[in-house]
Amino acid sequence: MIALKEFDRALGQVVKADSAIKKCILVDRTGLTIAHVSRYSASSVDVDGIGAIASAVFCASEEQGRNLDIGDLLMVSSEFDEGKIFAASCGRGVLCVITDPEVNIGLVRLVMKKATDDLKALLQEFLAEKPIEATAEESTSERAELEAALKELEKF
Amino acid sequence: MAKIRKDSEGRLHFKLVYWGPSLGGKTTSLRYVYDDVEGLDKGGFTSIEDPSGRTLFFDFVPMSASGKILFDVYTVAGQTRHKHQRKVIMRGADGVLFVADSSRSMKQDNIESLQELKDIVGDVLGDQIPLVIALNKRDVDDAMSREEILKDLSLENSSIPVYETIAVKGIGVKRAFQTLSREVLLKQLYGIKTAH
Repeated sequence: MIALKEFDRALGQVVKADSAIKKCILVDRTGLTIAHVSRYSASSVDVDGIGAIASAVFCASEEQGRNLDIGDLLMVSSEFDEGKIFAASCGRGVLCVITDPEVNIGLVRLVMKKATDDLKALLQEFLAEKPIEATAEESTSERAELEAALKELEKF
Repeated sequence: MAKIRKDSEGRLHFKLVYWGPSLGGKTTSLRYVYDDVEGLDKGGFTSIEDPSGRTLFFDFVPMSASGKILFDVYTVAGQTRHKHQRKVIMRGADGVLFVADSSRSMKQDNIESLQELKDIVGDVLGDQIPLVIALNKRDVDDAMSREEILKDLSLENSSIPVYETIAVKGIGVKRAFQTLSREVLLKQLYGIKTAH
């Protein structure tokens, strides 16, 4: 069982690599935001929404590559007036990095390469299919949460 | 077997997808749940749409019923040309709400949309992946009967939950969402569907 905070540590290293890197989000390929780290804690963006778009855009580009038979997608970069977004494959997930416009692109690519290698292994374990039945004893609290949610759904 | 999707805070996420033909009421249904249904904690409403307001890729809203349980709710773009986008959004779906358009003119579109969904999801649809049907636009003049639509969709003898909805008025929409989310949790907890 991996420590969930391992993701925060790995993403934290990316954000610390350069002052132009503002935010780092790890998503899976279903749109789930697994973890995120920001340079500024006061940042109030809708991270779940950004993660969902990042995952969908990356996966759509992958689909485009498959349709055109041009191989695996390594990285997507989007340039805006006031910032850049980079998204790179890391096994079963996508690492998304948001930067200032004047960021050193070579450095970002290098940092992301290192991070994606680290995250790939973590994600492989984290996203492995784990039936609830098989982990029932250690997942008592999860089961209780699910049952509580069921009760709440009856109320609204 | 069912799997659990977690984030780094240990919250459990379930992905629900509103699917159906173009202009059938998917976004309107989700928007109603987002704007008017109380009792759920909701995040931002993310929408990728064209200048006319039609869904170009997807809508997305995270909702929480209780503590660490989150529903990541998506709609897909219904237009035929967006089929690759729909396939992307369906990845990892835990449950599907099929929003059929009751208008007689949409008969074939309903059939084709459900067939596309079946082609993507496979035999697990309605079994491992819960499916709920919303027959939307029940108030239009040329609305087909419930029986006729279900027969068209080859669901007349199915135990899949069916709700008649009018999304623009919010009728039936909450119940359809509630049933789907409940089915998904029951599936995760006990591997069963409720009887209908």
